[in-house]
Amino acid sequence: MTLRRTIIAALAVFLAPSTGQEIYDLLLKNGHVIDPKSGRNDRFDVAIIGKKIAHIGQNLPATHARNAVDVSQYYVTPGLIDIHAHFDAQGAGLNLQPDHTALSNGVTTAVDAGSCGWKNFEAFKEKVIDRSKTRLLAFLNIAGAGAYGDVDELDPGAAARMVRRHPDILVGITAAHVEAGRREALNRAVKAAELSKTPLMVAYHPQSGSEYRELILKHLRPGDIQTHCYGLLLPLLDAGKKVLPHVWEARRRGILFDVGHGAGGFWFRVAVPAIQQEFLPDTISTDVNKESIMLPRADTMTTMSKFLNMGLTLEQVLERATVNPARAIRRPELGMLSEGAIADLAVLELRRGRFGFLDSGHGKLIGDKKLFCVLTLRNGEVVWDAEGLTQPEWKNASGPYDLFYSNFK
Amino acid sequence: MDPASQIDRVMDVAVKGDRIARVAPEIPAAQARKALDLGGLYVTPGLIDLHTHVYAGPHPGSLFPDSTALVTGATTVVDCGSSGWRTFEDFKARIIDRSKTRVLAFLNIVGWGMTKGEEAENNIADMDPEATSAKMKQYPDIIAGVKTAHFARPGYAAIKRAVEAGRLSGRQIMVDDRIYTNSERTTREKLLEVLRPGDLHTHTYNDRQLELLDRFTGKVQPFIREARERGVLFDLGHGAGSFLWPVATRAMQQGFPPDIISTDLHATSIMVPRSDMPNCISKLVNLGMQLREAIERSTLAPARVLRRFPELGTLGEGRVADIAVFRLETGVFAFKDAWGKRFMGTKRLECVLTVRNGEIVYDVDGLAFPAWSTAGDYEVIP
Repeated sequence: MTLRRTIIAALAVFLAPSTGQEIYDLLLKNGHVIDPKSGRNDRFDVAIIGKKIAHIGQNLPATHARNAVDVSQYYVTPGLIDIHAHFDAQGAGLNLQPDHTALSNGVTTAVDAGSCGWKNFEAFKEKVIDRSKTRLLAFLNIAGAGAYGDVDELDPGAAARMVRRHPDILVGITAAHVEAGRREALNRAVKAAELSKTPLMVAYHPQSGSEYRELILKHLRPGDIQTHCYGLLLPLLDAGKKVLPHVWEARRRGILFDVGHGAGGFWFRVAVPAIQQEFLPDTISTDVNKESIMLPRADTMTTMSKFLNMGLTLEQVLERATVNPARAIRRPELGMLSEGAIADLAVLELRRGRFGFLDSGHGKLIGDKKLFCVLTLRNGEVVWDAEGLTQPEWKNASGPYDLFYSNFK
Repeated sequence: MDPASQIDRVMDVAVKGDRIARVAPEIPAAQARKALDLGGLYVTPGLIDLHTHVYAGPHPGSLFPDSTALVTGATTVVDCGSSGWRTFEDFKARIIDRSKTRVLAFLNIVGWGMTKGEEAENNIADMDPEATSAKMKQYPDIIAGVKTAHFARPGYAAIKRAVEAGRLSGRQIMVDDRIYTNSERTTREKLLEVLRPGDLHTHTYNDRQLELLDRFTGKVQPFIREARERGVLFDLGHGAGSFLWPVATRAMQQGFPPDIISTDLHATSIMVPRSDMPNCISKLVNLGMQLREAIERSTLAPARVLRRFPELGTLGEGRVADIAVFRLETGVFAFKDAWGKRFMGTKRLECVLTVRNGEIVYDVDGLAFPAWSTAGDYEVIP
């Protein structure tokens, strides 16, 4: 037995290719890699083998690749993470189909923020999460049947038990859509988050400024997330458009401020002054749903572009869509590029021109930069390829074309 | 650009409430609550996508209509057979009644539609012309025809039952049908004997469906032209398997465009080939079709199939204000066929604004709205 193992081990060493002999399935050549977690911000080649990133380096040989793609016009980033989205919960009014929405925006990990509660999460998992190519995670709503169900059914124990049953998918608790002016909902959500040892995402719309001060300084815990942070209903600014002192204090104690753009969570008249005072969001998320994807166009590329045009650098924007959201949902292995990691990547084009952007109130910002996602890899697979970068010109393609059309190709 | 009214020049379009009030040169902006400068852009009737799948939820391949149609300038979509007479009510309650997009349907001849998988789609016992036609007569404003698709057994049973439902309801049928060894069907017989004038065959540029081209010469088959002469209509139905460069290129070279431009947009085709309406139109324009002709085949022609012209498919004064605005970009662009392979073109149509029922529902550049810094303490600017 021992001898056999030794032989197998010896064979394995013999058969394993050394790095010089590896064959890459896909090589992204010469892209401008921005990986905020590692600090990479330069031209690199990225080689993919199977589902994983094999190498990130310079001058990786194109001759070793089954498919080498020149991405020198583009930025190569970790697959983006959207921690506030709404996906198809069996026909619920506001939801979208996840793969098209997420993957076409370079988002490889998307977090449904409370469409479901403990009563309907498992059906949602079976029908939507398990069938999606996108890595779908979720905040569980404190309301038993989720954001679109009975908002009076709030059982912290049952919610926490469901989170513990699916720790790989459920990243936290949310009280979204059930908390408007109702501290009881919020208290129970905090309780469920404590029981499940996960972060809480709130969209809290307080009745008064002092109530909000108490919330973010006392009731929320470091690591809890305030979404819709540039919304009108949140007292972020004082009458003179200054960021309130207790908001800064909350940030210092570790409360996270998330964009959650949506159809009702983002106004330039709040965001622009806040950003001028350097109150930047911790995470850039979309609250993308059936409504918000239409008029404010709150998808990930458009939302990130708005922040670029409000003065953030591309690296700052990407940090808030990769490493920061990964930390916020306590999944530090996501939102970064590293050799041996799962190949979730986005290739982005930064176009220059004249572009208009709308906020949730239809106020317009004119900008000169806009991001477009040209290629998305999820688990090493090309799942979005807007420009056909990984594909040949059809006249040079073989396979079925030759089989069927060789006479008139 | 309104082919139905022979308009193809710079004009102003005035909308009042949910109707088109006037189409004329030099309508005074002072008369408008909101005036948009659309110089350099094309204004067309809201596109009609005659072939989509939007029964999201019960049919796993389906998409939600608003987020996929309205953002591409399609204000009317026709779900082709995702639902059958057994499931139509659920489809209506779940999607049709809740969408801003005008959602119409071709009812599947299979009672369960496409919700129960391949086996159920081959079940001849569930193809009931009477029940199908009864459901169609119950909703004549929504159900415009019958669909048969994916039938993988020999013979004409599925197509003939669809034709029978079409005869009973007085509507046309659309056929999606694969020819294979031992299928005991031929394209010639199907098009010249089984289908009626006015019936449609979809997936025009997929030659396992239609055998459009002679395999040896690449020539359009004579019986295909004969079928067109007798009134059978050819629907593009791009999809994830039915637009192939070798077929489309050859057919367009020989003057065989599709009668109707449609997408067969579903969860797969929206990802790889991105077969939305502007994408399909762009592909045909790059293969030589005039833009005006492509718009006609995306507005007037499908409206006629639906028997909704001139109510739909035109910018006629007094008609419902379903309007699309496009930018025709020039540059070098890659387009992909159903197998994902590239074709480089120089023109690309992009939807920038959509009006549905008089309401601006999509406006990617914010053309209809003021700068935030001039809008005061706005909450929502109408």
